[in-house]
Amino acid sequence: MKLRRSMLFVPGDNAAMLSTSFVYKPDSVMFDLEDAVAAREKDSARLMVYQALQHPAYRDIETVVRINGVDTEFWQKDLEAAVRGGVDIVRLPKTEKAQDIQELEAHVARIEKACGRPVGDTKLMAAVESASGVVNAVSIATASPRMVAIAMAGFDYLVDMHTRRSTGWEPELFYARAAVLHAARAAHIDAFDVVYGNVNDDEGFLREVNIAKQLGFNGKSLIHPKQIDLLHKAYAPTEEEVSRAKRVLAAAEEAHRKGLGVVSLDGKMIDPPVIHEAEMALQLAEAM
Amino acid sequence: MNATVEFYTVQPKDAPAEREDIRRLLAANDLELDDQIEAFVVCRREGRLVACAGLDHATIKCVAVAEDMRGESLSLDLGSEVIHLAAARGQFHLFLYSAPHNLPFFRGWGFYPLVEVPERVVLMENSPVAMERYCDSLRAQRRPGQTIGGIVLNANPFTLGHRYLVDQAARACDWLHVFVVKEDASLFSYADRYALVAAGVKDIDNLTLYPGSDYIISRATFPGYFLKDKGIVESSWAAVDLLLFRDYIAPALGIDRRYVGSEPFDAVTNSYNVQMKHWLQQTPSGERPVTVVEIPRASSGGVAISATEVRRLLAQRDFGRIAALVPATTLQFLESKFPVNHTVQ
Amino acid sequence: MKVTKEAIAGTLESSDLLVKVAPSARGTRDIVIRSEVIKQFGKQIKHVVTDTLDKLSVSGGSIVVEDKGALDCVIRARVQAAVLRACECKELEWEHLS
Repeated sequence: MKLRRSMLFVPGDNAAMLSTSFVYKPDSVMFDLEDAVAAREKDSARLMVYQALQHPAYRDIETVVRINGVDTEFWQKDLEAAVRGGVDIVRLPKTEKAQDIQELEAHVARIEKACGRPVGDTKLMAAVESASGVVNAVSIATASPRMVAIAMAGFDYLVDMHTRRSTGWEPELFYARAAVLHAARAAHIDAFDVVYGNVNDDEGFLREVNIAKQLGFNGKSLIHPKQIDLLHKAYAPTEEEVSRAKRVLAAAEEAHRKGLGVVSLDGKMIDPPVIHEAEMALQLAEAM
Repeated sequence: MNATVEFYTVQPKDAPAEREDIRRLLAANDLELDDQIEAFVVCRREGRLVACAGLDHATIKCVAVAEDMRGESLSLDLGSEVIHLAAARGQFHLFLYSAPHNLPFFRGWGFYPLVEVPERVVLMENSPVAMERYCDSLRAQRRPGQTIGGIVLNANPFTLGHRYLVDQAARACDWLHVFVVKEDASLFSYADRYALVAAGVKDIDNLTLYPGSDYIISRATFPGYFLKDKGIVESSWAAVDLLLFRDYIAPALGIDRRYVGSEPFDAVTNSYNVQMKHWLQQTPSGERPVTVVEIPRASSGGVAISATEVRRLLAQRDFGRIAALVPATTLQFLESKFPVNHTVQ
Repeated sequence: MKVTKEAIAGTLESSDLLVKVAPSARGTRDIVIRSEVIKQFGKQIKHVVTDTLDKLSVSGGSIVVEDKGALDCVIRARVQAAVLRACECKELEWEHLS
């Protein structure tokens, strides 16, 4: 199972960052053609991302391209660059409804056919940034078999909701986070929490990471490489959790060997979800 | 990655508050705000103005970075922004004047030194090869001979005085190279001035006429020439223009003497002639010195012929008096372009 | 592709390059490269620039590169961007960009 804890934003127009961000080993690297790039540079950034996608250093790391929204003049050209460049996932910003994803998918398929890439190879993810998006989260998350993740984007959403960020448990984001999470889980895809903008505030960042982790988010969108390690450590299981996970998996293994239909440990029955959770815990531990 | 730094463009004439902030930043860097600047790239960090760079046509001016922000990255971003601003305004061949100690800074912007007025200023351009290529094109026009002359004319318009100067020079030289100042900053457009010069010297066999360039009395290399109404006489600017002539243009064509008309009327041009003698003849340099030959102006009715006088008479449509001052080709042009029937502009 | 006007692409930042493309008076193709690492990488930079231009069928034009230590993929991207701007190209032919 692909780990998606950290998705590092990299401005598509920034040569230095495109040339080095793989060094930080995020779970996914996201090349941004949208908000990070000025209108007059969209054409140049598109080519930068197209070329970077094909660089050997990015072969072993999951790549994402945030294209411009479907209401812009840029998105289709962005798609050509992303799909032909071999991107793993296309991220659509400002996703409002399932139709946006379907429109996106149709174009992606067309480009895959045109460039000889297997149809269905390019995955999709949606960023939800408005009240409509949140309310339509379930239909967005299930809009296409290519959907692998849904992300919550905080800034534009809060503007749409006529409020702003606070600290503590952040009530202003509660419903949106919950809606996006439920949509992700119902659709069996991953969920990403919002960007934390203050790169100098590690404490605040970790506080938010723990909220997201407790809620059940797979990971978070990041804007600075230093946030990667902080995030990974926060998601790492404790030693106790690891040793219990090992025992659960050992019990499952033994039950399988003995041909037993039921797995038990310490006199208690172990359901499949618990086994799955143990597998995840070990995967997280191994990734550290 | 500093998310709080933002770059944007301002037109100083439309933004008095920005203009004031810019003036203050420049003053802190011992610079004065140049009124000719059409647009500035400015950089603010958390609301504070920390860097600026101005653009006046093809010349970058008034570059300043706040002392606490000096380091590689910001200044390179500033350079990129102002170069892109210039490109958006259709300017790709750029110049700038740098204090000699700032030369490395601007090399980082992709600018290369052309000439230096020692300890005063360095003229730089944003190409490692533009001047070289220009000289190549000149070299292709070299002519054999012992005495090779050069003249730079504005000719606004071409008069009998200009004709006299060119005539005297052509007689004294094996070959004469004549350049027409290219800027459209005079009453008559460059195209018209060039056409009148061409018509006025057509019969001279040992002469090559050249279109002007950025390197010969242009807005970029000698802005003072075009600010005559302010009576500004900037010796550094004149020096730069003359050094370009001495170090690049004259050697490319083998010019060993430059002809000028004596200048009784115009302070800037007169000062320029004085500068010319200094830089072309006296200052030691790697190149062969160019002799300056000052020819007394031709006169009509005891008064030196000048283009200024022709323009004055033109305003009154006094073609009778003009006829004595200009060749037939110029007169014909003036009469057709400024007919007597229409109101004086 | 025909270079019909002047254009630039890229920046002066470290790991990037600034590319200037202009029509050539004589119709020839002139490539000029300046780089802080010209000794070690001059040949490689020239090779990448030339290859990129060849693939776009740019036969005439003046190309000046101010390199700040860019990777090949960045060089390719910036040269392509400058050329496409200078050719006022509306439709991209992606086969020529790899």
